[in-house]
Amino acid sequence: MTRRVAVIGVGNSKFGRRDDVSVQELAWESIKEALNDSGVSQSDIGLVVVGSTAYRGIELYPAPIVAEYSGLTGKVPLRVEAMCATGLAAALSAYTAVASGLVDMAMAVGVDKMTEVDTSTSLAIGGRGGNYQWEYHFYGTTFPTYYALYATRHMAVYGTTEEQMALVSVKAHKYGAMNPKAHFQKPVTVEEVLKSRVISWPIKLLDSCPISDGSATAIFASEEKVKELKIDSPVWITGIGYANDYAYVARRGEWVGFKATQLAARQAYNMAKVTPNDIEVATVHDAFTIAEIMGYEDLGFTEKGKGGKFIEEGQSEKGGKVGVNLFGGLKAKGHPLGATGLSMIYEITKQLRDEADKLQQPLKKYIGLVHNVGGTGHFAYVMVLRR
Amino acid sequence: MQVDAIPLSIKYKINYPDEFIEAVKRGEIVATRCKNCGSVYFPPQKDCYNCGKNEMEWIKVSNEGEIMTYSIVSQKPQGFENYKDYIIGIVRTKDGINLMAWIKGQPKVGGKVRLTTDDTRIIGEVV
Repeated sequence: MTRRVAVIGVGNSKFGRRDDVSVQELAWESIKEALNDSGVSQSDIGLVVVGSTAYRGIELYPAPIVAEYSGLTGKVPLRVEAMCATGLAAALSAYTAVASGLVDMAMAVGVDKMTEVDTSTSLAIGGRGGNYQWEYHFYGTTFPTYYALYATRHMAVYGTTEEQMALVSVKAHKYGAMNPKAHFQKPVTVEEVLKSRVISWPIKLLDSCPISDGSATAIFASEEKVKELKIDSPVWITGIGYANDYAYVARRGEWVGFKATQLAARQAYNMAKVTPNDIEVATVHDAFTIAEIMGYEDLGFTEKGKGGKFIEEGQSEKGGKVGVNLFGGLKAKGHPLGATGLSMIYEITKQLRDEADKLQQPLKKYIGLVHNVGGTGHFAYVMVLRR
Repeated sequence: MQVDAIPLSIKYKINYPDEFIEAVKRGEIVATRCKNCGSVYFPPQKDCYNCGKNEMEWIKVSNEGEIMTYSIVSQKPQGFENYKDYIIGIVRTKDGINLMAWIKGQPKVGGKVRLTTDDTRIIGEVV
């Protein structure tokens, strides 16, 4: 029998190009905020999991360095990696340690300093986010290409348009402009998105998330610990799901959604005993605009093929059926790979505590969801959170 | 102050099955099939995870296919900077294998291609 687990503290560094800090200083920004937020100190934590993809930063083995700088030495036996879903992979490890009774409190720290290499190196590393031997080596795939393959087929099968995809970017930038921690704080128009440089058709520059530096941290505690510490606003993890899919993208057999997301969502909904209709606020992995449209469908917010309509009708806006990516999403808030999933937990925790200020989604049931994809559907994690 | 860190140059050596490379040079595409249970693998593998045996035979893949999806790559990664924009597609062959290829010609989802190679990689020529 597993124990109930709550998020009791969250932190999120400023995302963006962060030449001003090292990876360990960047990690400390969110660790410090999460410790202050929860009211616990380093010595209270039984296990720390560092999530970092690391390959784009000078520190290829960042866990001990982050631990040393943050006063966590002794508690950090591992780093985890699941490409863009590294943050929730770290969260799963920390959650599991608490749920199993191994520790009473665990911390997941996500950090990546991606701008220490140039864009061309970054693209080459990202393009290997599949099956190098049978894809990149012969065909020169880039990370946007993988998502573009999904976008092209979604357009052909369901009539999804480039304008509908552009709306995802417009929404992200609108909210990002209201979030001081976001990488971009500038609204964009549909026309600007459509006219932006083509990266891998049909994906254009303004359909794509930026290459960002950032960190985010969440602290997890058992129910007993929450009571003992008299935490007044615990956010409970009531459902958690995970899955993966073939590395060689052609082998997946359909390219209009992520099977990994569908499986992870079903598992999380079943565990939380909720349906997609219960979700009022969510983060949906929007590395590229088509990803958010497919996310609406794969998470069950709308039927398969209707994701384009869903954004067009404003159903994912603040005050809509389900407020999606109200902090700016990966598109505008930024996507420092290791930090992203934990940054999503940060956002939904703030929302469920009614602490999101101007970006607050009106809530009745106080049920939120986080969805983090690794690679192009290579990994998917879904968590259901409740106040 | 920002300084240049010591550069890291990584060189890798990797291996491909001779049968695959030789087939590509002949303009053909091959997959592996388990002699015990008949499972077909593309990308080819030496080991069958379905039955646990490792006795495979090489089989020729049909050269008739349909474009399932594609993308035109404008921003090219390392190693491909000197290529003109290229089209990466996923093709479903007549015998039901899904594979990645470069598409030559005007691509369309559902369009037919004839599969061949350019000595290095699989090419789907729009017919």
